[in-house]
Amino acid sequence: MKNIDEIIASGTLELYVTGALSQREAMEVEDVLNDYPEVKNEVEKIETALINLAHGEEYTIPAKVWEGVLNSIKGVRKLNSHKKSNHWSTIAGWAAAIVFLMGIFWMMNETNSLENKVLVTTTENAVLKGKLTSAEEALTTSQDLLDIIRSKEYREISLPGNQAVSPESYAKVYYNDNEKIAYIDARGLPAPPAGKVYQVWSLIMDPLTPRSIGLLDHYEATTTKVFKLENIPDPEAFGITLEPEGGSESPTLAQLYTLGMVSP
Amino acid sequence: MNQPDSLILEMQQGSEKAFSKLYEMYSKAIYSVIFVILRDEELTEEVLQDVFVKVWTNSGSYSVEKGRFYTWLLNIARNSAIDKTRSKSFKNTNKNLSTDNFVHIIGGHNDLNQRTDTIGIQKFVDKLKPLCIKLLDLLYFKGYTQNETAEALETPLGTIKTRARNCINELRKMTLQEV
Repeated sequence: MKNIDEIIASGTLELYVTGALSQREAMEVEDVLNDYPEVKNEVEKIETALINLAHGEEYTIPAKVWEGVLNSIKGVRKLNSHKKSNHWSTIAGWAAAIVFLMGIFWMMNETNSLENKVLVTTTENAVLKGKLTSAEEALTTSQDLLDIIRSKEYREISLPGNQAVSPESYAKVYYNDNEKIAYIDARGLPAPPAGKVYQVWSLIMDPLTPRSIGLLDHYEATTTKVFKLENIPDPEAFGITLEPEGGSESPTLAQLYTLGMVSP
Repeated sequence: MNQPDSLILEMQQGSEKAFSKLYEMYSKAIYSVIFVILRDEELTEEVLQDVFVKVWTNSGSYSVEKGRFYTWLLNIARNSAIDKTRSKSFKNTNKNLSTDNFVHIIGGHNDLNQRTDTIGIQKFVDKLKPLCIKLLDLLYFKGYTQNETAEALETPLGTIKTRARNCINELRKMTLQEV
């Protein structure tokens, strides 16, 4: 370690204060400074001499310089600390952004509900189309039926109501001998109670032999109440009885609603 | 004078009051350094303002443990002033001033002499030896390193140190008498 007086006398401290030393040398001086108050004292005297070189008493620096400094650093401090954001442009910017986002969400909602509406409408359209189709089908069916029962191949057989069971009931059978096809118009029958079904029989009178030719299934659902039955054996009469669901092997005569003879 | 470490710390923590006290302490000295380089009052005021804004915004880069606050301040001022000499506004106002050292400023222009007198430099400069003036010009006002100074004056480094010591000793005697 060098002698302290030597360091002071060397001129190194003068160069240290003016900033002329290399970084390494300056750090060496720092070490000595921190350990020796007399070296620090010397540095302060050098510094003071240089500062006092320009301490003329007759002049002052214009106040506008310091005001300029203050104005500049106020802007800087506000930006750094984010204390009170009174920047209306910033607030307006955020507000605009929020409104914009809200607008987007609103539009997304609108789009969604419109899409939903389109979907509903499409579904409704499909349903209506279906209804139209079935109406057209129904019409076609009705037209066909009308064509069939008016044709000369079919003959009409009336089945009046059984006075003992249901005097108000009646049915009609349109029968094609050649093709063994019968259309049963059952509109004159009351709706069958739950768990029951109408069963149609062909009868041969002598000896009385009933043969089931079919069930009037889905009576409620069939709007025309006209049922097509096929493979009819040569009948002498038609009868309709009310049977338990699924039908019976032989007719329950106590529940014979209508009966009509086929004219030869 | 003792370095006002507590004021510097307060400034670093954001105290404008401490900062204004530091400005009062150092602004005249910094003004003179900038003025010697720029030789124009308006530009000097402009750069002085700029320097203290830099001090505030960069105060975190100074550490009390490492180096003198005044030396740090000096470096900012000299660099800012030298930057200014490269600007268009400086070149426009100083086309006819080709003088590039302290000696010539002091010896040459009467209007500048008046100004340096007002600042307070002149009365010391008049009493300092020419070699001392030259040395102060390079080391203090221009911020030359010791090697640059030795080269500029074609003098060995050891001699530069000794002369710097003697020169500033003279200045110390004068300023202590005057102030």
